[in-house]
Amino acid sequence: MEKRLYKKDFGSFITSLQGLGYKTVAPKKDNNLIMLDEIQGADEISLDHVITNNSIKEFFFPKTEKVLSYRMEKNKVEIEEPEGFAVKAVIFGSRPCDAFSLPVMDKVFNWDCSDKFWVQRREAITIVTIACDKCDSYCFCTSVGLAPDAKQGSDVLLTKISDDEYVVETVTEKGENLIKGLEGVFSDSPSGVPDRQVATVEKKFAIDKVKPWLDENFVHKVWTEFSLKCIGCGACTFVCPTCHCFDIVDECTMTKGDRVKNWDGCQFKMFTMHTSGHNPRSTQGERWRQRIMHKFKYYVEKFDSILCVGCGRCSRVCPADMNISEMLEIIATEASQPGNKD
Amino acid sequence: MKNSNSLFLPEIAKVVSTRQLTAMEKYIELKTIDDREFDFTPGQFVQLSVFGIGEAPISISSSPFNRESIGLCVRRAGDVTSAIHKLEPGSRLGMRGPLGKGFPVKEMRGKDLLFIAGGLGLAPLRSLINYTLQKRDDFARIRILYGAKKPGEILFPDELQTWRERKDIELEITVDTPDQNWTGKSGVITRLMPSLKLEPENTFALIVGPPVMYKYVLLELQIKQIPETNIIMSLERRMKCGIGKCGHCQINGVYVCLDGPEFSYHTLKFLPEAI
Repeated sequence: MEKRLYKKDFGSFITSLQGLGYKTVAPKKDNNLIMLDEIQGADEISLDHVITNNSIKEFFFPKTEKVLSYRMEKNKVEIEEPEGFAVKAVIFGSRPCDAFSLPVMDKVFNWDCSDKFWVQRREAITIVTIACDKCDSYCFCTSVGLAPDAKQGSDVLLTKISDDEYVVETVTEKGENLIKGLEGVFSDSPSGVPDRQVATVEKKFAIDKVKPWLDENFVHKVWTEFSLKCIGCGACTFVCPTCHCFDIVDECTMTKGDRVKNWDGCQFKMFTMHTSGHNPRSTQGERWRQRIMHKFKYYVEKFDSILCVGCGRCSRVCPADMNISEMLEIIATEASQPGNKD
Repeated sequence: MKNSNSLFLPEIAKVVSTRQLTAMEKYIELKTIDDREFDFTPGQFVQLSVFGIGEAPISISSSPFNRESIGLCVRRAGDVTSAIHKLEPGSRLGMRGPLGKGFPVKEMRGKDLLFIAGGLGLAPLRSLINYTLQKRDDFARIRILYGAKKPGEILFPDELQTWRERKDIELEITVDTPDQNWTGKSGVITRLMPSLKLEPENTFALIVGPPVMYKYVLLELQIKQIPETNIIMSLERRMKCGIGKCGHCQINGVYVCLDGPEFSYHTLKFLPEAI
């Protein structure tokens, strides 16, 4: 039976979760930012925003993560693997686009061989999403096949029906078990069809035009044009919930250290540079082509998913005011009226 | 590695011996600390790590028929390889692998083989050459072209001499810049190619060298009408994970680490940025 969650019960919701041993994560204010972060109590939750500045990615694939530690003596090395990195947690109030990024990323972290760091965290964390009741000009989820109230990737979806009331829908068995374990927090629904407050996100481009165009236009003037403003800072890749490139480096003192996996990004010149100095992607235009192609062509061909959820963070954060949905609009328009390739 | 707890967990290996080959290249022989046997295909590589410095992908240079140890020819170029050069017998290293698919040895069976090695490209090809020499009857004519920049940069001279003395293979060496004592051929490696008499349909060309070499060697092989499926090239990339996740070696939809690092020209010509 459909349940309701009242805003006044957020407190008991969070306390009950903590009582059951869950770490609780929710959007909270951090100076001028709204960050998904650990909270101690419901009073820290902030829901008056379009989208959090950070994506959900870092809770499954941290910015920096120890994959092993080692201790060295002369002609002796001992390696230890980290334990306890997958902490039972509930992420409350993430957005549907962020939640959807998880099944998209499951594919790369599980194909051919599984990355236990990702897989164990996925098992340990339950996602309670709140459908978007507003959006901004950067949002384009509806252009990539999603919706502001999409369910995929969430375990539970909440949709606002009044200033202090949410409809609760369980999406997965994990979500159902979570709700069952929290007696007294959720209320039964009164009769009648609730008025769901869901944002209307404008569709900006025809996604079905994009891949066929990319298939034909590896060489095209737009790649350089797109990149002219780019300063190669890579911020777009870090805030992106689906960018998943990483580096592996050793951090150590003389006799002991950690091998860590750090976020990396295809927009950096060093990303592909060989020790010899040869660089297979030596221009920013080539690096932009890689970013767009990976998200809208290569990933689609390999894993049958677009590697973009339309959250718009890359464009919000870009210091040069580049906008990926505008690029895709240009591509979709080019596809309809082929112009000059040079 | 698939059954291991973590994809990033290396085995501990020990340096058995080291040998300075040239000013820049050193040959390192490794065993695992539990002396396990190695099982790999020529062309595969390992992620070798010096703890405290980091990991680097290095191709295996020894024959797969030697299962007790592996040999790697390491050029001193970056942080990790410089640290490897400082290792002495008994030193401990981390090793993940073998990684990648390696050369298509099954498809090569019964064919004429044309090896084209440029500089350090001889390191991975040496593994394949020694494999084919061990199974000599499985292959038809075997020819090896090797180009080095200078006489002093020629790798494995003793081994080259034994190859030269064999009657069942042909070897030609050239250097870009000869010195006073050099009596052999000089000039870039493609100069050795026009005079080759090949049966194109029955020939596999196996090429490893720097990116610039591929462009010119490919032109020559196309003149010789070697089928694109029979031209096999090994790609170098800034690999990190080695297991198709980190994105560093991605070319279009291909992960060089997993799907290669050897590819046929038939595949590579659809992968712009590959060469």
